[in-house]
This record gives sequence, structure tokens and C-alpha cells, in this order.
Amino acid sequence: MSGIWERARASRTLRGRDSFGSRDITSNGDRSSRTVRLGRVQPQAPSNRTIYCNDREANLPVRYKGNSISTTKYNVLTFLPKGLFEQFRRVANLYFLMISILSTTPISPVHPITNVVPLSLVLLVSLIKEAFEDWKRFQNDKSINNAPVDVLQDQKWETIPWKKLQVGDLVRVKQDGFFPADLLFLASSNPDGVCYIETANLDGETNLKIRKALERTWDYFLPEKAAEFKGEIQCEQPNNSLYTFTGNLIIENQTLPLSPNQILLRGCSLRNTEYIVGTVLFTGHETKVMMNSMNVPSKRSTLERKLDKLILALFGCLFFMCLIGAIGSGVFINRKYYYLGLSGDVEDQFNPNNRFVVTILTMFTLITLYSTIIPISLYVSIEMIKFIQCTQFINKDLNMYHIESGTPALARTSNLNEELGQVEYIFSDKTGTLTRNMMEFFKCSIGGEIYGNGVTEIERGNLERKGLKLDGANGSATAIREKGFNFDDARLMRGAWRNETNPEFCKEFFRCLAICHTVLPEGEESLEKIVYQAASPDEAALVTAAKNFGFFFYRRTPTTVIVRESHVDKMGKIQDVAYEILNVLEFNSTRKRQSVVCRYPNGRLVLYCKGADTVIYERLAYGNEDIKRITREHLEQFGSAGLRTLCLAYRELSSELYEKWNEKFILAKSSLREREKKLDEVAELIEKELVLIGCTAIEDKLQEGVPSCIETLSRAGIKIWVLTGDKMETAINIAYACNLINNDMKQFFISSDTDAVREVEDKGDPVEISRFMRDLVKKDLERCLEEAQHFFHTVTGPKLALVIDGKCLMYALDPNLRVNLLKLSLNCASVVCCRVSPLQKAQVTSLVKKGARKITLSIGDGANDVSMIQAAHVGVGISGLEGMQAVMASDFAIAQFRFLTDLLLVHGRWSYLRLCKVITYFFYKNLTFTLTQFWFTFQTGFSGQRFYDDWFQSLYNVIFTALPVIIVGLFDKDVSASLSKQNPELYKEGIRNMFFKWRVVAVWAFFSFYQSLVFYYFTAAASHNGQNSSGKTFGLWDVSTMAFTCVVVTVNLRLLMACNSITKWHSLSISGSILAWFLFIFIYSAVMTPYDRQENVYFVIYVLMSTFYFYLTLLHIPVVALLGDFIYLGLQRWFAPYDYQIIQEIHRNDLEDNRSSALLEIGNHLTQNEARSYAIAQLPRETSKHTGFAFDSPGYESFFASQQGVFVPQKPWDVARRASMRQQPRTHRS
Amino acid sequence: MSNSSAGPRTANADASAPRRNSKRPKYSKFTQQELPACKPILTPQWVISVFTIIGVIFVPIGIASLFASNKVVEIVDRYDTECIPQNMTNNKIAYIQNDTISKSCVRKLRVPKDMDQPIYVYYQLDNFYQNHRRYVKSRNDAQLRDAKKANETSGCDPEKATANGSPIVPCGLIAWSLFNDTYNFTRGNQPLVVNKTGISWKSDRDHKFGSNVFPKNFQNGTLIGGGSLDPKKPLSEQEDLIVWMRTAALPTFRKLYGKIEVDLKKNDIITVVLENNYNTYSFSGKKKLVLSTTSWLGGKNDFLGIGYLTVGGLCFFLAAVFTVVYFVKPRKLGDTSYLSWNRTGAGR
Repeated sequence: MSGIWERARASRTLRGRDSFGSRDITSNGDRSSRTVRLGRVQPQAPSNRTIYCNDREANLPVRYKGNSISTTKYNVLTFLPKGLFEQFRRVANLYFLMISILSTTPISPVHPITNVVPLSLVLLVSLIKEAFEDWKRFQNDKSINNAPVDVLQDQKWETIPWKKLQVGDLVRVKQDGFFPADLLFLASSNPDGVCYIETANLDGETNLKIRKALERTWDYFLPEKAAEFKGEIQCEQPNNSLYTFTGNLIIENQTLPLSPNQILLRGCSLRNTEYIVGTVLFTGHETKVMMNSMNVPSKRSTLERKLDKLILALFGCLFFMCLIGAIGSGVFINRKYYYLGLSGDVEDQFNPNNRFVVTILTMFTLITLYSTIIPISLYVSIEMIKFIQCTQFINKDLNMYHIESGTPALARTSNLNEELGQVEYIFSDKTGTLTRNMMEFFKCSIGGEIYGNGVTEIERGNLERKGLKLDGANGSATAIREKGFNFDDARLMRGAWRNETNPEFCKEFFRCLAICHTVLPEGEESLEKIVYQAASPDEAALVTAAKNFGFFFYRRTPTTVIVRESHVDKMGKIQDVAYEILNVLEFNSTRKRQSVVCRYPNGRLVLYCKGADTVIYERLAYGNEDIKRITREHLEQFGSAGLRTLCLAYRELSSELYEKWNEKFILAKSSLREREKKLDEVAELIEKELVLIGCTAIEDKLQEGVPSCIETLSRAGIKIWVLTGDKMETAINIAYACNLINNDMKQFFISSDTDAVREVEDKGDPVEISRFMRDLVKKDLERCLEEAQHFFHTVTGPKLALVIDGKCLMYALDPNLRVNLLKLSLNCASVVCCRVSPLQKAQVTSLVKKGARKITLSIGDGANDVSMIQAAHVGVGISGLEGMQAVMASDFAIAQFRFLTDLLLVHGRWSYLRLCKVITYFFYKNLTFTLTQFWFTFQTGFSGQRFYDDWFQSLYNVIFTALPVIIVGLFDKDVSASLSKQNPELYKEGIRNMFFKWRVVAVWAFFSFYQSLVFYYFTAAASHNGQNSSGKTFGLWDVSTMAFTCVVVTVNLRLLMACNSITKWHSLSISGSILAWFLFIFIYSAVMTPYDRQENVYFVIYVLMSTFYFYLTLLHIPVVALLGDFIYLGLQRWFAPYDYQIIQEIHRNDLEDNRSSALLEIGNHLTQNEARSYAIAQLPRETSKHTGFAFDSPGYESFFASQQGVFVPQKPWDVARRASMRQQPRTHRS
Repeated sequence: MSNSSAGPRTANADASAPRRNSKRPKYSKFTQQELPACKPILTPQWVISVFTIIGVIFVPIGIASLFASNKVVEIVDRYDTECIPQNMTNNKIAYIQNDTISKSCVRKLRVPKDMDQPIYVYYQLDNFYQNHRRYVKSRNDAQLRDAKKANETSGCDPEKATANGSPIVPCGLIAWSLFNDTYNFTRGNQPLVVNKTGISWKSDRDHKFGSNVFPKNFQNGTLIGGGSLDPKKPLSEQEDLIVWMRTAALPTFRKLYGKIEVDLKKNDIITVVLENNYNTYSFSGKKKLVLSTTSWLGGKNDFLGIGYLTVGGLCFFLAAVFTVVYFVKPRKLGDTSYLSWNRTGAGR
């Protein structure tokens, strides 16, 4: 033990002198300067940490943090002080606290209970809610902390909970398991020390990434061996930079540098690897993912911010009222009113000798008296309403429950429900949000013949818009569906293509698919079990297609591709054909094509090429114009159907030609300078005189219902912007597929992908590049804006669409150009930003949020969307997949993009309507109540005498008028959910904020003014005579009780008038509230308490009820008070109806339709073939520019990571190389 | 080595299969927001019929109330200015504060109509802020109710206790400023007896003022506010005090003085001999004597009747107006051309 101590100390002192940090940082210097940062990066501690692997005692003195995490806000001890502090940070609560304190002083006209009771109730409710939410967080933490993990102990794997994990432990993580902490990757069950991880939790990317252990550590795999592992890791202090890591592993006096390639971050999961062994580097809150989970700034809804203004206006009103009253009191007070006992020694408040002090003190008196003007229970009521809306309505909405993944919607914050009803701009990520990131071979055109009967979502949408209904089943019995293949055409399947008119074309087509790619087959070499590892899902889809057409590519060696071709069977045995791959001409974004030169077993030399139609057509040999023309038509047809197209072509090569070319190729390949460029040039020499075979159409599988959802949302007046890291073609393609862009639109492109830009970039002078780019972007913007100006004012003109790429965006976001960008983009129906970085996504979002002051919503699924999600007013995360980072940062999580319809049009709209109603009603009821009090002040010599009994006043807000408004906030429904979705235009009322404008507030204020006059003067005017046949008169408390009864009844009835739908809960709560008042007053005025209470109201209700006056007034006043509102409502509905009112009227006779889809089933039913032919007939025929080329090249898959230069994604060559390694016998493991 | 071909998604689906049911929200009308509801639409028919119904109900009530109010006969006589001797009209306060001057005053009232007994005698004060904050709270209900709590004088400032510290019962400004004008009525030379019992609400008499609480140290101070009380009578029998202490809501108020239980005939001349003791001159308040009969509705008050009639009439009028509008400028229910997105100029 002491030895260990010695060593620990020694190494520490050693480390002190060792300038490890600087040494390592210089080697990684160029990397760390370009770190992707999510959130703020904490300054790194100057020192570094040393970890002794597999040696708990040695790590002990450093006291690393444990692996348990806690995300709770409070604990048992801090709950009360911290929770209360949080509560009193709210101005309203603080105000009432001050009022409560004030009301304990003698200047108060009211008893302290008047203010203390409501305040404590409000605080109690809020605190209970806080406690509940924190408890849920605690439970969540607990389940994470107790997840099991295997740890090496005494040469055995022991299962312990995550929280017990310590720095330096050796752990084993199994397939599909999550890494419990940041690990150093030591050994893998894969032979070459690699493992595949999915980083969906971190950055949302679902493609697998490769991590490779240091060769030195590959052996520490079995527990017995691993137990021998004694390494020392020196590495940086915990930080939140996800893509960097610097450190050294010192093992047996050997120093091995570590890179991010050996780091497995907490939150990622292991894929396609049986298990791995790693040692713990950072634990718990020190892991990179936890350090990245920044405190989400709590967002407040726009409505609430406007509410603050309303409250401020009320404060102003309060001040004004108090001022009038206070001045009045200063003027009034006079010794002549001898019955007030003002002679002699009088307290300051009533001392006529010092009117100024009287005025000041009365000011405070009146503030306490009129405190009810600020609706104390408003915030807590809103909170309650929103909370229930979230937990009961949004989270439990079956329409937003995704059955396949079993994910319900989740409202992560309850602050923003009504914000959902006012969204005008949606910023959407592409991959994983709009698309499933699943490529499926869908159609093809071979030698001028189109194959594939499927109907894409967009076509389906077009048809449905025309009122046709397609049968749900997509495809006939012959259709084959598997991952990457969704093709239905009997003419090609099962070798039937041989009977087609052009079997030779077909053969070449299929061969091209099977040979020209960089896919790596894995797993068992059988049709069913093979797994294609491809850098892009497009490639996998194409190879899968070839497999299904009978050209089964199943093995790759460094030099050959082996294809099992079912069409040539020799003696009943399917033939394996080995094609020798001579050259691979790589795909990149400038070439937009990929070629393979191969030699057939019979010596035939062929170059197969696939790529964008533009580049292929340029390089076609002369002739066959018909096929070219027809294929182009097909390309356009595919393109407008939202399919991603690739052209396939081949070229027969003579061996002389090839050999000559190959020399140049080898030369280029081995050149040291500008190799890429030279390779491109050499490729150019051979990729010409091609023969067009046909084209493929791959469906980038959209998430279900995306086009119709987008269509609905845009009808609702919401503009949708797509912000994606993909390249322009892909982005445009998806925009087509989602119906965001179509050929009828006026499209503007601002792209940096031009020759001019490339030329400047090649020169490499950054100053020049930026100057050039700025000018270019400026010119482009001005040009577009000028063109767009023509369409701004025409109603019937085409809609506008803008496509801009990230590089241009960077310059367009410059303060000088921003205005133009904003002007242009706000007038566009849709905007597509491609190749944008996470930061730019956030910038675009805040551009619209702050620059245009529109309410924005961001939706995404990955970590690259986090900044955007947080920047927008409302952030929505796509849940249900592995990715959690976006969800963790979001305000709402839904499983599918299409659920936005429900979230916005149904829940958002209702929330908005309800909250507007709740807020304006609260405003009304408190203003009315307080104004009656105000009018009374005028007739009490401005003394601040209260009109109502203390308990009336304190219970007014919390009992007599509390529940109905909450019920309305929960249940009020103008039109049903299905009508909301059928008439998305209704949503525009929210965008325009129709229900919480100052005008609306003014109308309420006006009627509240009117009603308060009625309440006060009508009760007073009718009261000053003898009140029954025995001539007895009323006192103050009789009159005030009468008035209060009228107020309670009227205010509750007024709410009923504001309801759009009245459920039994409405009637129950409203009648309940009125009954509660009577019940209360019956008891209250019947009891005489010995406490400090003047028996003012003793028996008043019975006295009142013994007179006819009571009943006549109770009938009269509410009617008079509500008459104004009633006339207003009648006139408003008659002459200026709201949209929803018209919809209500249209559907007034509908039965209670419970969102049944019955209404949607109207339409002609076509047989499948009719539908298909109709669908094809409906496709746009006119020549369009869009042909749908899109291909995910490997370089862009992890665009951001690759930008850093830190983690270079695998090149296709790596895959091929690994394939060759595979064949080697495994020697390092028994 | 098994290189699992199971994709991440399928693996996940399998794993979550047993959990799936638990995550699926249960259907309930509440959470799906499908509670049955009636959806009233304020159509013109509704508006018109509501107006008509209100009119139909209100007009008769208004007529009945007005009729009742009109049946009431009321004699109002302001006497504060008349009852000052000629030589002191410029110095009313000196007059009222001077105890040596006789405050007696004679008023003659003519009965305008037959008045059936009981005839209620009220005094009406003007500009008297019985609802002033300092005034309203200047009492102690416990002391009034319970003889044992005579010492409880909290809130009674500044009329709490005598100079030597013994508590005043009843304490406080309200009691201290008790109204003390008196009225004696004669018709011809026949005196009309004023019955001063039963003029207060029974609940006050029975519960608020103790039957064993006797006035103590009342009006003993240097400043006399108003009337004094018979220290031998318990508070529950001092009905003047009980009436006075039910503080009025407004600065103009009537309080019941007594009842004359004799019918009065039209043109009878009533002679009132009154003691004009109460000082309203300081704050220039008016004092009126009111004789009034009552109806089922109480005293003479046209307010409710007029109010009902006005509202009823207004409703009939509005019903008519809406009907006219309905025919002149009809709007088809659910007319889609009213939808904002169908209206012209509602483009982008």
C-alpha cells in the first residue's frame, strides 16, 4: 500500500516538471484551434490529470468525482429557502409579499389575512409543483445512476451500478450498451482493434463511427489478461469539447500519444461490436457530455412577456388610482368633521395639521387596499393550466403517440404551450427530422424504359390535394421490401428482365450497380444475411438493388469484386463472377461522379460510371439521342417526385487505351503535390465517350406524412426553412420531396459552388477569398432582391423560394448584408440553407427571431441542432431514435415531424386561445373588483375605508373566481381538433395575435369599467331608503355584501359567456363558485368568533335575504352589467366574426366528431392501377431544371467533424483496405 | 466472431417491445380533450330572443316596483337651516355649541296624501362620513356584547377611556357621536306617540348588543360628541344607539327614528317640536326629517323600478334593432367569404 503511495507522489512531482501539456498541445495544436464547440467551452485548468489504470488505491489521493450524476435543483435542506427565493424572484410574488408586510402596519385598511392568505396559497401551489418536478428529475437520475456495468475486479467481470464506477476502472461494454463514462478504448472483440459507435446522443449522427484502440493495448481483452494492465494515463483536465482529446498513455515506460480516436464518450453506444474493454477517464459530471449539458436558459413565452406589460400597465393604473385617492385624502381631512375625533393628539395618517404626510400615508393605505388589481393567482393559475395541458394533454395525446417506436410526445417545459400557437417560422433540420435517413431503391430507367410502380409521398400528396385517395397498400404481391430496396415491378424481378426489349441494357445496368461502388459486405455471405457497410446509404441501396435483381455482390478483395450472377447458371449452379477492379475514381463534390475500371474474367475492359446527370451527359458518346432524351425526361420526372437520381453509364476500353491511361493515373496517384487535383484531371481523360445505360431513382425516405404536414403548416401561414448540413443538391431534393419547393416557384439560388469561387479558393489567399465572397454574396443578394421585388406586391404571382449555402450565408449574415437577406428571405415561402454549421443554424434562427421579431420554432434531432433549438422561441426535438442531445435541449419532444401538426395546430392553438382568455379574464375580474372599491373611496372622504370584508377580498381570487377560469383554461375549445387540422388557416389568428392585442384588452377594460360603475352605484343608489316593509335601513356591510354578491355572480357568468364550449365541468365550476360564495357567507355571517374581528358582517346575508331588494337587485345588476358585453359580443359576431366563429357556424350541426378520420375518407376510391396511372398522369410534364441528382458522398456525411480536421472520417479506401485486412488470419488472439 | 447484423433500430425495437404498452397513453376523454360539451353559438336569433326574454321579464317587475314606490307617501323636511335663531345664522357653530341657548324648534308639516300606519320617522344626514375609515373602526364589538369585556377598548381611539383611565362603555367615535335630535309630533293638539322600539334589526339587538351591558362613563369627557345614554338601560334596549351604530354606507343616509302607529289623513297638519341638538353645522351637513310609509319593497325609491323599466325597454328596443339589422343586412351563418383568408387583400 505504501508503495503505491510512494509511486503516486513520485509521479506527481515528476509530472510537475514535465511540460507534458505543452508538448502534447503543440502536436495537436492545429486541431484544437478549430474545435466544434457546443455551448461555452470552460477554460481548461492549467494542469493535467494522471490516471492509474486498474488501480483504485493509486487514484484515491486525487479524489476524482464519482460517476453518479445529479440534475436536481434542490435537496431536502435547500428546498425551502431556495424554492422560496425562486418564488420571490417573481415580481408579482414580491409585490404581494410587500403588500402583506404593509398590511400588518396600522396604515393598512385591511387585515393582513387579506393578502397573506392568497399569497400563501399561491406559494404553496408553486412549491408543490417545484417539488414534484424535482422529484421526477431525481427519479430519472437514480435510474441512470443504477444502470449496470461490468467492471474488472479480481480478474472477473463484476456487475456494478454506474454510480460506483471510478476513474481508472476497467470496464466492459457490450453491444448496444451505452458507455457509462468517458472511456479510453483498449481492446475490442473485433480483430483489428476497432469498434463502431453511434454518437446519436451527442451529435445526432446515426451513421456508425469507427474508433480504433492503440495496437499496444489490443491484447488486454480477456479478464485474466486485462487484470495485468497497468497503465498510466496523462491527459487534459475534463472539458466540454466533444471532438478533442489530448493525452498520453504510459505503459511500461513507453509513452503513446492518445487521440480522440481512442476515446469513447459517455452517452454514445456500441454497435456491431460484441464488446469492448476500456478504462475510465472522466466520470459523472466531468464527462464531456455532461459538461456540455449546459443549463438550458428557461424560455418565457411571448405571451407572458406581453403579460408583463399588461401587469405593468396595471401597476400604472394602480398608481394613478392611489394618487387620486391620496390627493383627495389630503384635501378632505379637516377638523371640521368633529365626529372623526381629529382634535388633539391624532396619528399622522389623519392629522389635518400635516396634509402632506396624510397624503403620503394614504398612498400606502390605498396601495394595500387596491392590491387586488394585480391578479395574484394569475401566475399560479397559468402555471397550473399549462402544467396540466402539458402532462395530461400533450404528453398523453394519442394522435402524437408513435406506435412503431412507442414514443409519446413529451413536453419538457410547461412554459411555452401558448407559444406553440403563434409560431410563424419553423426551422427544420433535414436528416432524421424530415427524412428517415433511409435510402431506398425506388425506380429506375433503363435504356429509355421506366421501371418501378411505386408512388412517392409527394405524388400521393399531390393526388390527395386533388381529392383522390390512393389505397394504403403500396405495391403488389411481387413487391420486395427490405432495407434499401422498395421496388415493385415484375418486369425486372426474378430474372424477368431477360424478356424485356433491352436485356443487354439491363445487364449492364445491373453490373454497373454491382461493381461501381465502394461498399464492403459484412457478415454471412448469403442473400438474406449479408450486411453492406457503405459510406453512404445511397450506395448500399444501389448494391442491395443489384442483389435483388440477381447480381449479388458478396465479397470484395483488394483487387476484385465477386458477384453471384443468377442469370448465368452453369449446370443449375449459379455462377460467381470475379471482376478485377483496376482503378477506382473516387467520388467528390466537384466531380459528382464515380467510376470503376474493371476487367471481366474474359478480359473485357469496362469503365462503369455513375454520377450526376449534368456531368454524365457532358461526357456521353455521340449517338443514341432517343435514349438520352427519354432518360432526361425520366430524370426530371423522378426529380419532381422528390427522388434522388444518378445516371449510369459505361465505356468499353481497349487494353492499349487503358494501359496508356493507367500510367498517367499511377503517376498522378503517387504525386506528392496536389494529388487530388491531378487525379481529377487524369480521371477526366478516361471518363468520356460514355454510353448511357439509364438512371436510378432512390427515395430518400421521408418521415411519414412529412409533405402533407408541411402543406398543412404552410396553409396555416407558417413558413418552413430547412437548415441542413447536407450539400445543395440533397437539400434541394428534399425540399422538392417535401413540397417546399416546386417548379411553379420562383427560385433564387445563392451558392458558393461556382467555378469563380473555386478559382479564387484555389489561390488560397484567405483575405482575397473573403473579399471575393462578400462581393459575390452582396451582388447575388441585390440581384435576387431586385427580382423578387416584382413579386412582392402581386397577390397572384409565383411564390418565392431561396436556396443559400453555408459559405454564402456566413457572409450574408454580416451586419451590412443582413437587412437584405432578411428582406429577401421573409418574402420567400420557403428557404433552404444547405451546408450550414450548427452555429449558423442558430444565427439564422436568431436573425428571424430578433431581426424580424417573429416567433420561431426549431426542430431537429441531433446535437448539431442543439444551438438552433435553444436559439428559437420554441425548440422541438425528435425523440424515439437514439439521439437524446436534441431532446435534452428541447422544449417539446415529438417522435415524428408530422406530429407538428397536432402540436401546433391543435395544442398550440388551443393553448394560445385558452391562455388569452384566461389572462384577459383575470385582468377583467380583478380590475372590476378593484374599481368598485375605488368608486367607494370617493364617498368615504378618501380615507381608504375598505368596501368589502377582509375575507371577501382575500377569497375573491382564490375561491370564488378561481376554479372556473382554470376549467376554461383547460377545456375551452373553439373548434374540434379535426377541424383545427382541416382548417389550418385558423392558426393565423394566433400568428397575428388576435386575442391578446391591446385592443382586446381595451375592450375588456372598458366593460370592466362599466360593470364596476354598475356594481357600485346601482347597489348604493338603491340602498339609502328603508329597505323592507318595516322601514329598517341598511348599513355599510349590507350594501357591500350585496355588491360583492353581484360581483361574484356577474364575473362568473361573464366567464360562461366567454366560453366556446361548455362541458359539465364548466357548469359545475361556475355554479360551484357561486354556491361557494353563498355557502361561505351563510356560515361566515352566522358565526361569531371571539377573535380579533369586528362583527361587521354578522347576519348581513340573512338581513339582506329578508328583503325584496336583495332579490331584485341580484337579478337586475348582473343583467345590466352583462348587457354591454352581450351587445358587444352579438355585434362582433355579426359584423366582424373571427375565423373560428365562422368555422363553428359551418359545423354547428355536426355531431360531436371525435377526431375520427371519417371526415378524411371522402374522395373517390380508385383501383390500384387506376391510381397509379393517374398518379403518373398527374406528374408535371413541363421541362424543369430539377432532375433530382443527389448523392451522399462520404466526405459530407460527417461534414462538421471533418471540418475540424480532428476526426477524419473514413474514406472509401479505408473500407476497401479493411476488407483486405479481414482476410488475414487472426493471430493476436486465440 | 459473430458480427451481428442486427441494425441498431431493430435491436431497439425488440428491446422496447415489452415496454411499449406501458408508454402508450391510455385513452380517456379528458386527456384526449374530447369531453362532451355544448357549443352555444351566439346567433342573431339567440341575441334577439335573449333581449326579448329580458324585456318580457323586466318590464313587469319594473312596473310593479315603480307602482310600489309610488304608493309610498313621503314627507321630507329640512330643518337645520330653519331652526337657527335669526340672530345666529352667521354663527351656526356657536349656536349649536352653546348649551344655554334653547334648541327647541317648531316645524309644521302638511300631509300630502293619506298615510296608513305605521308611519316611519327617519332622520337624514348629509355630508356625514359614517363610512370614514377612522370612524368605522372606532368601536369594539366585544365590549358591546359582553359585560365582562368592558375593558376591551382596542380600536376605540380616541374615545377609549376617561381622563382617569376607566373605560368608556360603549367606547369609540361612533357611539360618542350618537345622534341626539328629538322629535315630538302633534296633530292639532293631539299628540302622536312615536314608538321607538323595534326600529333596529333583530340580529343586532339580540347578538351584537348585550342585554347586561350598561353604559359607563359615557359622554363624561370634556368634549361631548352627541347624545347620551341612560346608564340604567342595557345596550340591547338602547335602540337609537343600535341603529346609529350600524354605520351607513354612504355619506348621505337615513336612519330610523321611530314609528307613528296612527293613520294620517290628507291635509293633516303635523306639528313637530324638535330639539335641534346635533351639530352638523361644523361640516355644513344637512339634517332632514322624513315621514314615510312603506310598501313591500321598502321606502320610496324609484331607482329599482326605473332601472328595471329602462333595461326592459332597452332590451325590447335592441331586439327590434337587431331584428331590423337581421333583415336589412343578413349574414348567412358560416358564410365562408367572411373567413380572413377568403377576404380580398388578405394575401401574404
